[in-house]
Amino acid sequence: MNDLVIGMAGAGGDGIVSAGESLIGALAKEGYFAILTKSFGSQIRGGESSCRLRVATVPVANPGGVLDVAVALNWDDFLRFGGELPVGERTVVIYEQKTGVAPDALPLGSVEPAVSLAVPIEELARKTAGTQQAKNSVVLGLLAGWFGLPREGILAGLRRKLAAKGDAVLQGNERAFAAGLDYAAAQPLGSEYRLDPPHATATRRIVTDGNEMCAQAALFAGCTFFGGYPITPATEIMQHLQRDIWKHGGVVLQGEDEIASIAAAVGASFAGKKAMTATSGPGLSLKTEVLGLASVAELPLVCVDVQRGGPSTGMPTKREQADLFAAAFSAHGDSVRPILAPTGVADTFAVTVEAFNIAERYQTPVIVLSDQEIAQRKEVIEAVDLTRFEVLDRLVPTAAELEGYTRFRLTDSGISPISHPGMKGGNYLAAGIEHDEHGAPTASGGMHARMNDKRLNKLNPLKDRRDLFMIEGDADATIGLISWGSVAGIALEALRTARSEGLEVKLLVPTLIYPVAEEIYREFFASLRQCLVIEQSHQGQLHRLIRMWVDVPDNFASLAQSGANPIAPSDVVARIRGMARQPVRTSRRHPNDLMNTL
Amino acid sequence: MISPEQACTCGPAPAAYTAKDFRSNLKPIWCPGCGDYGVAAAIYRALAAIGRPPHEIAFVSGIGCSSRIPGYTTAYGFNSVHGRALPIAQGIKLARPELLVLVAGGDGDGFSIGGGHVPHAVRRNIDLTYIVMDNQIYGLTKGQVSPTSARGTKTPTSVYGSMEEPVNPLLYTLAYGAGFVAQGVPADLDGLTAIIEEAIRYPGFSFVNIQSPCVSFGDAENQVKSQKVRMRKLAAEGHDSANRIRAMELAQEYGQTLYTGVFYRNPNPPPTFDRQVRELQDQLQPARERSQAPGH
Repeated sequence: MNDLVIGMAGAGGDGIVSAGESLIGALAKEGYFAILTKSFGSQIRGGESSCRLRVATVPVANPGGVLDVAVALNWDDFLRFGGELPVGERTVVIYEQKTGVAPDALPLGSVEPAVSLAVPIEELARKTAGTQQAKNSVVLGLLAGWFGLPREGILAGLRRKLAAKGDAVLQGNERAFAAGLDYAAAQPLGSEYRLDPPHATATRRIVTDGNEMCAQAALFAGCTFFGGYPITPATEIMQHLQRDIWKHGGVVLQGEDEIASIAAAVGASFAGKKAMTATSGPGLSLKTEVLGLASVAELPLVCVDVQRGGPSTGMPTKREQADLFAAAFSAHGDSVRPILAPTGVADTFAVTVEAFNIAERYQTPVIVLSDQEIAQRKEVIEAVDLTRFEVLDRLVPTAAELEGYTRFRLTDSGISPISHPGMKGGNYLAAGIEHDEHGAPTASGGMHARMNDKRLNKLNPLKDRRDLFMIEGDADATIGLISWGSVAGIALEALRTARSEGLEVKLLVPTLIYPVAEEIYREFFASLRQCLVIEQSHQGQLHRLIRMWVDVPDNFASLAQSGANPIAPSDVVARIRGMARQPVRTSRRHPNDLMNTL
Repeated sequence: MISPEQACTCGPAPAAYTAKDFRSNLKPIWCPGCGDYGVAAAIYRALAAIGRPPHEIAFVSGIGCSSRIPGYTTAYGFNSVHGRALPIAQGIKLARPELLVLVAGGDGDGFSIGGGHVPHAVRRNIDLTYIVMDNQIYGLTKGQVSPTSARGTKTPTSVYGSMEEPVNPLLYTLAYGAGFVAQGVPADLDGLTAIIEEAIRYPGFSFVNIQSPCVSFGDAENQVKSQKVRMRKLAAEGHDSANRIRAMELAQEYGQTLYTGVFYRNPNPPPTFDRQVRELQDQLQPARERSQAPGH
């Protein structure tokens, strides 16, 4: 096998997630690519926990669909994850024998997995390590034995992890691991289940997650102020920056609330520093007023929204892409905030740097719409090549421009040089209230219209940024896919599968979600007879957003699914096959036309 | 007494600035007779006495009549959104600790919509000065009951009289732990100027409540003219501004006795947040080079 998806679940404290982390570390060192996602109940401690690990010999774009291997330490906890850990006919199921479930009577409804293996996991742990806490090491041994995962690397990882716990604990876990290996060797599984060796590799790999990449990118881009408030699943961004930002002469302020956090960031931006805040949906709702302020005062700001299930408290630990409307429309008045969406862990670095560049270049707040999955999943990626990135700074007034300085001068580009306190001659009034070119408050309708023109039109060049759109597939295809954020990786895999079956299809992935780049969509639509927008929200928010600005093909369909359970690539492939089987009539009658003929 | 190294906001030796250098050419929207004119005048004079150039001053406000004040100065102004002046000002000070940062606004801006930010600004102790023009009414929206309105105040939104106890800005900030709490009145321009100057010189968060009467919607009995008669200078009363407990006792008379002067000044100012930030930065720098890639 060159691509293996393992899903494991147990009770909190069983060490399931820890086992996943040991595995991904070992696989990365060996030269594999991998993605690890973790999922928990919303309990603070205890409760159920799970992880899924996808390992492959080539880069993978998503955590995979149906499991190749399922590990259940107990069935109640495993089943709580439902569609997050889907078992299919090709799955090998490994489970705790102590559950007393017969291999031919697994509680999986009508699904009959390929192989069912009841293993005395707890008993092996107790026998070898003297404690059931070594269950996860037994599981690691089983997986290494049956699927050919790198045993030396896993052992080395275990040793590092347990070094602080003393020799007795370490040796117990080593014995537990060996017991797992022996058990697997005694009950061999077919060689078709063994993972292929990794391709020879010369590149440097790191294991990281989206939130860490976001924080690192902010530092790289020159961010020296972060205002934040703890919120799942965005908190790690603040934690990473809290550790490192001081070394760059920066500050992290944990505000008393979400509003104070973004307000302080806007203050820092006014003071001439690159500033960021990060939150999730409930925090975005609160930050809205200050986002509007940054738009009208033309202050650069990066606001990261790591989306989670909503509305309101929703599902804090689960993935969803349903904050798009809030990000685009939540502030009152005529304002446009650029929205960028990363599609994966490595991409989060690139997108965050770009967000700072756009914010500084255009003097605007920019929203980065990440989501729980890419923010918190661990992924093996190539080390970031920093020479690929340019860092832009804001346009400051020249000495000549500081003579009779005009902060909001109406320029052709709509961008006027911005001063900051401390800059002699640059003194001006920043304001949420409408203002004239000098910053003086005004109630003139004419000036309001000109300032709206300035603030909105200055962003138009973004719509020509073709580098913020990925198009893959057959250029003249009549079937098109559009997807964004973490779901784009699922769409990409579906596209490749469909094309390998001989279907002609192409995929558009926008990094720039808003403003809507009408021309780029129009060009993509030109050859299309059918189009499917794939995303993780009940309403299909991107699907609807595009329709607000662009004339779409007749058959512009939506594959929109509420959050938590991942969309399976196979479901997308099935939709593509369906579209290919039923070519649409070109002159489809619109229901309104029918009404008119009655 | 403030030792020289504690008096960190004074900067270089006073240059030849006059009050006029801090007044912008924008014409205030305030009604004739508004107390805020006197507040603005006192701020100009205090800034002239401090002697920092206008471009090294950031003056932040929220929304309300009094929040227009940054625009009437030559400093870098930020007339932001309702209730958010304090967090914005803290971001500015942390980003550029060398600036002199002033914050101003009304009682509604500071103690109603922005009330949640006050205790945190106090306990964070960032070196800035917060001036509240307290007129016990929402003036810009034409006369609604405010958080400092006395119980029973009749307005279009409290037609039968307010049913709530007012906020006591002095007692609140003292209880939150503010190191400098004072009250002034525009009727005593010299006294107000001295209070504001002292507040700015205090190394840490300083709070000045100014009874700044609303001539259009405020209590007719409580205007600038009557302040001259009613005001009682704390210094003349023999109050020791180092005595926090006594300061709190006096502050309880808010709404009854019009004390002016410094209620409390911490004789041993604790380290400010901004100073601790600088120390941590110095300790952890030099920064890694920007060219260092994650994972390297």
